[in-house]
Amino acid sequence: MPFDPVAYAIPVFVALILGELLWSRLRGSHQAYEWRDTGTSLAVGLGSTIAGALTGGLTAALLVWVHGFAPLSIGWVWWAWPLCFVLDDLAYYVFHRSAHRVRWFWASHVNHHSSQHYNLSTALRQSWTGFVAASFVFRLPLALAGFEPGMILACAGINLIYQFWIHTEAVERMPRWFEAVMNTPSHHRVHHAVNARYLDRNYAGVFIIWDRMFGTFAPEDTEDRIRYGLVGQLGSFNLFYVVFHEWIGIARDVWRAPWRHKLAYLWREPGWSHDDSRETSEMIRRRWKSRTPEPNSRDRPVR
Amino acid sequence: MPGALPQLLGSLVAVVAIVAVTWALGFRRAARIESHDEARELFSLAPGGFEPVAIELDRQGRAAIARDRQGRVAVLVPHGNQFVFRLLAPGSPISAEGGVLAIRALPAVKIEPEGDARVWANTDSSDNSG
Repeated sequence: MPFDPVAYAIPVFVALILGELLWSRLRGSHQAYEWRDTGTSLAVGLGSTIAGALTGGLTAALLVWVHGFAPLSIGWVWWAWPLCFVLDDLAYYVFHRSAHRVRWFWASHVNHHSSQHYNLSTALRQSWTGFVAASFVFRLPLALAGFEPGMILACAGINLIYQFWIHTEAVERMPRWFEAVMNTPSHHRVHHAVNARYLDRNYAGVFIIWDRMFGTFAPEDTEDRIRYGLVGQLGSFNLFYVVFHEWIGIARDVWRAPWRHKLAYLWREPGWSHDDSRETSEMIRRRWKSRTPEPNSRDRPVR
Repeated sequence: MPGALPQLLGSLVAVVAIVAVTWALGFRRAARIESHDEARELFSLAPGGFEPVAIELDRQGRAAIARDRQGRVAVLVPHGNQFVFRLLAPGSPISAEGGVLAIRALPAVKIEPEGDARVWANTDSSDNSG
């Protein structure tokens, strides 16, 4: 098995969750946590580590196989590490944007957004079905470019570790220079929000620059209270429902849809329906804008 | 894989311990709506917005029902210490029995309004005790 930095970070995750719990209690933030929600988050996290252990070897094997076709092999030179990390983060951005815009990938990612709470335990709601959904394809180009598979997986692990601490309301804003370049709790709160203006924004993993470059950045507006979770809140703490509900929904929709629309329920955006009986994030945003008496610039993506 | 089972068991113990700490620290309160203003804000946070023209709160703050200008009816359903917004399908049966609103689509939700429950009922099962 390749080196997995996430396994070494887990004790730190546990310590930080306990610290945030105590901080929330002392501050009187009674709604910051809910014990059943925390249980679901941690159970999803535990299940994702099991799924990762079962499929991690296959992902590594695929990276090695693709690396065999690379026209050049970069090897383990020191400068390859920062380059690989930045490019891996770009690959993460593309994956994450696809995970919100293509229902097939969304079905695997949706459980990360299923909590109505935004705390460090929410960060652990990771996918069980990422391999089944073929999420690994987004990292294959790095192997084809010549980066060592072990380096790619280590960078991916460090990327995931970085994203843990940004799942908190305990940090309001980081220094301006940091907010300009890095993904932060403020930027990621926007990503987890279901307020119409924030839908499908801030896909970044480590560097927020990708959202600024590709027009998907939205700053947090402290005047607008954030509502976390899903557009259609699950209203359930059931572990298996949280993990598999969207896959079940896809199967049901494909079964019921007319033949010519069946595949569209896999590749179109979440909320799409052939008879317009549901709403996509664009439709929700459009409806919200139409009800806003004086349109302002705050809801526009900012580069 | 050697060591995988102890690692799994250790993780399970950690999960149970953190959940127990969360419970012990008091993060187990039921959701409660304190005022019409709070309910209005919660309704307005629905996807795309929902602006109530009439709101009825449960006496204990456990839920709320509202109607908007288009005649749509929505309910705030408790879930842990949060609320879930549920828009009812047009004509969804609502009955007032013993002064308590029962919504067929949301059987777990009971709303005991401070006002007249019959105002919200739309089925024949409404009684006159509201």
